[in-house]
Amino acid sequence: MSALERSDESPQVDALAAPVGPAEKEAPSPFVLDVHDFSVDYGVGTQMVTAVRDVNFSLQRSKVLGVAGESGSGKSTLVYAITRLLRAPGVIRSGSAILRVALPDGHGVEEFDLVQADERTLRRVRWSHVSVVLQSALNALNPVLRIRREFDEVLKTHRASMTKTQRRERSVELLRMVGLSEDRLDRFPHELSGGQRQRVMIALALALDPDLVIMDEPTTALDVVTQREIINELNDLRSRFGFAMIFITHDLSLLVELADDIVVMYAGAIVERASALELYDAPRHPYTLGLLNSFPPLHGARQELTGIPGSPPDLAQLPAGCSFSTRCPFVMERCRRESPTLISLDDDHRQVACWLHEPGASATVPVELSQRRRAATSDSDLATAESK
Amino acid sequence: MSDVATSPALLSARSLSRDFTTRAAGRFWNAKRVTHAVEDVSLDLYQGRVTAIVGESGSGKSVLARMLARIVTPTSGQLVFDGTTIEPHHKRGLDYAAQVQLVLQDPFASINPIHPIRHCLERPLLIHGATKDDVAALAGAALTRVALDPPERFLDRYPHELSGGQLQRVSIARALCVRPKVLLADEPISMLDVSVRLGILNLLKGLCVSEQLAILYITHDIASARYLADEVIVMYAGQIVERSFGTSLVDEPAHPYTQLLVASVPDPEALDEARVVGQHEKLEVATVGCRFAPRCPHAMEVCRTTSPPNVELAPGHVSRCWLHTREAHASLRVNARRVDEGGDI
Ligand SMILES: Nc1ncnc2c1ncn2[C@@H]1O[C@H](COP(=O)(O)OP(=O)(O)OP(=O)(O)O)[C@@H](O)[C@H]1O
Ligand SMILES: Nc1ncnc2c1ncn2[C@@H]1O[C@H](COP(=O)(O)OP(=O)(O)O)[C@@H](O)[C@H]1O
Ligand code: SF4
Ligand code: SF4
Ligand SMILES: [Mg+2]
Ligand SMILES: [Mg+2]
Repeated sequence: MSALERSDESPQVDALAAPVGPAEKEAPSPFVLDVHDFSVDYGVGTQMVTAVRDVNFSLQRSKVLGVAGESGSGKSTLVYAITRLLRAPGVIRSGSAILRVALPDGHGVEEFDLVQADERTLRRVRWSHVSVVLQSALNALNPVLRIRREFDEVLKTHRASMTKTQRRERSVELLRMVGLSEDRLDRFPHELSGGQRQRVMIALALALDPDLVIMDEPTTALDVVTQREIINELNDLRSRFGFAMIFITHDLSLLVELADDIVVMYAGAIVERASALELYDAPRHPYTLGLLNSFPPLHGARQELTGIPGSPPDLAQLPAGCSFSTRCPFVMERCRRESPTLISLDDDHRQVACWLHEPGASATVPVELSQRRRAATSDSDLATAESK
Repeated sequence: MSDVATSPALLSARSLSRDFTTRAAGRFWNAKRVTHAVEDVSLDLYQGRVTAIVGESGSGKSVLARMLARIVTPTSGQLVFDGTTIEPHHKRGLDYAAQVQLVLQDPFASINPIHPIRHCLERPLLIHGATKDDVAALAGAALTRVALDPPERFLDRYPHELSGGQLQRVSIARALCVRPKVLLADEPISMLDVSVRLGILNLLKGLCVSEQLAILYITHDIASARYLADEVIVMYAGQIVERSFGTSLVDEPAHPYTQLLVASVPDPEALDEARVVGQHEKLEVATVGCRFAPRCPHAMEVCRTTSPPNVELAPGHVSRCWLHTREAHASLRVNARRVDEGGDI
C-alpha cells in the first residue's frame, strides 16, 4: 500500500453529498474551517493599521477556497493570523477561526478555535491537520541542512513510529509528487533553483496528509508547466484524500480552474465571493472586473492593457466610504461617503460589497457588471484594454 | 516594433556556456557530476528593444542573466558590450556594473532586511558616484518611477514592513536609480500582484522606448512575454530551443516544448480542454541527442542519439527540433513501424 493512503479512514466522499453518517447523532459540520468576524491589526495606538477587517468565511471539507487580491490586500495576513503564524506587531483584534478535524476512528470531529489555542494545541495541529506553504518559502529552508533532513524532522516529530527507511521512502514519494527526482534529497537548498525549492516546500506541507492545506502563492514563482503539474497533482490528491485547501494567488485565471469558490479581497476586506465560474463569467464588483482585465491574453492582437488604475490605498489613510472609490471607474457620490457592506445577491448565494448592487438602489448596474462576461467579451468591447 | 534591428547590438552573448560540478549523491565515493546549466547560448540585446527569455525552473535563465551581468563567470564563450569583446577571465569594473543592472527574482532574498528602504536605494547611488546632497531626491524619484507613491511613505520603512509586491518594486527602483543602459530583469514580476504587474510591464516598455534601454526580460509567464517582448526566446535545459519575433512564437509554437508551455497556461476560456502535460517522473534531461526527448510526445529514434539542428521556419523564427527536417519524416516512419511490431523504441 502506498504510504500516501490513510490506513485509518476510507477516502472521503464529498461531505455534502453524504451528510449524515449512521454512527452520528448529529450530522457533522461540513465545514473544516469557520472564520468569523476576523480582524487583524498591525501595531498599536496611532501607528495602528487594520490589515484584515471583519472577514467571514467558511470552508467545506475537501473544497478549495481561492483568495485573490492585489499586493497588500491582506491575504497573507489573514492566513498567517488564522494559523497563528502572525508575528508582532501583528495582533488578532477580534474573531474566531474554528478548525474541525475528523477523528481518526471516523466518529465525529474535534474542534479547535485556533485564535484561542495554546502553543501545545498549535503544535499538535500544525503539519498534522493544517499545513501552510508560506509566500517567502524560497527562504524557508534551512541553508545548512540537506533536503532529506527537512523531511526527517517533520516525519520524526509527528510520525514517531516510522523507520529510517520508511521516512526515506516517504520523502522520495513526496518529492516525486511535486516533480522532483530522488537525488534532490541529498542537495542543499542553494543547489536547487527557486522553483525546485518551492516544490520541496509543497511536498513538506503534504507530508502528514493534513485536513487543510493553506498555500500562499505557492506556484507564483514557478513555471507554468510545473504549475500545471502541481495543480493537477493537488487536484488528484484532494480527490483521493479529501483535504481542503485555501489557495492564495493573484492569478485569477488559475483560481478559476482550481477553486470551488473565490473570495476577492481589497484593503483588508472581502469585496466579493462567488463560485469560481460565476466570478469569472459574471463579476459583480468593479475591482473583480479590473483584476480579470489585468492579464495579458494568450490570444488576439497585442494591445496595451491598463489594468486597474492607481495603486492600493494606504491602510493608514483609507478613503472615506468605499475603499475602492479612489480607483473605481463606476464611483458614485454615495460611494465617497458610505462604506458598502457585503450583501448576498438574491439570485444566488454569491456576495458583493458595492453600492451598485444594493437591492432597490437607484443606480443602474453597468452592463459589464450585470451580464455574463464570456458572452459580452466575445465582442471584445469589455476589456479595459485600449487600442494602441 | 521592428523585426530587424537597425543599430548594432548593445550587449551580445556569443556561445555562452556554464557548467557546475556537484558531488553526486550516494553510491560512488567521490563521484562528480557536471550540470550544463547554460550551453552554447547566443543572443543579442538592442537599445530600445525587449528580448524575453521563457523557460521552466532550472532551465538556466538565471545563470544566463548572471553571466550577462558578469556575476557568474562563463565556462566558455564571450560577451560583446558596446563593441568590446569580454572574455570570461576579464575583470568586471564598476562601470559595467552600473551600465548593466540585474533585477532579481526573489525580493525577500535580494533586499537586506536590516536597513530601511532608503539605504538600499542610496547605497548604489553613492557607490556609482552620486553626491550626498542628491541621493535623497534620486531615491525618492526612483520609488515614484515604480509607483511607490508618495515615496516618503516608504523610504524609512524596513523591508519586513512591506508586502512582497511592494518590496519587488523597491528592487526594480534600485536597479533603475543608477540609470543603466541594459536592464536584466530576472522574473521581475513573478511575485507581484496583477495590477502592479501590468504597471511594471508597461513601465519597462516605456523605459525601453523613452530611454532606449536594452531589456532582457526573463519570465515563465509566456503571456507576459508575448505582451512585452520584441523577440521571445524559449530555453530548455540550458539550451535555446525556439526563438521568434513578435507574437508569432506564442501564436504558432513550433517546438514541442513551446507547445507544452503554451498549453499549460491557465486559460479560463479553455477550461474544458484536456490538459496534457509531461509526466514529471521523466524529468531527467537527456545528455545525448535532444534534451527534451525523455518528455517529448513526438520523440523519435534520431532524437535520442543526435542533437537536433536549428531550423529556420520563417524569417527569424528558429526551432531546434528534428520534426522540422526531412530526415524526421523517414525516422517517423521507422518509429511507427517499430511501435507496431512492439519493438523497443
Ligand atoms: N510588520 C508589518 N508592519 C506594518 N505593516 C505591515 C506589516 N506586514 C504587512 N504590513 C502591511 O499590511 C498590508 C497587508 O500585507 P500582506 O503581506 O498581507 O499583503 P498581501 O496581500 O499578502 O500582499 P503580497 O501578495 O504582495 O504579499 C500591507 O499594506 C503591508 O504593508
Ligand atoms: N551554484 C550552483 N551549484 C550547482 N548547481 C547549480 C548552481 N546554480 C544553479 N545550478 C543548477 O543550474 C540549473 C539552472 O538553474 P537556474 O539558472 O537557477 O534556473 P532558473 O531557470 O530557474 O532560473 C539548475 O539545474 C540548478 O540546479
Ligand atoms: S461602492 Fe462605489 S466606489 Fe465602491 S466599488 Fe461600488 S461603485 Fe465602485
Ligand atoms: S528533436 Fe525530437 S525529442 Fe526533441 S523536441 Fe523535437 S521531436 Fe521532440
Ligand atoms: Mg502575501
Ligand atoms: Mg531563476
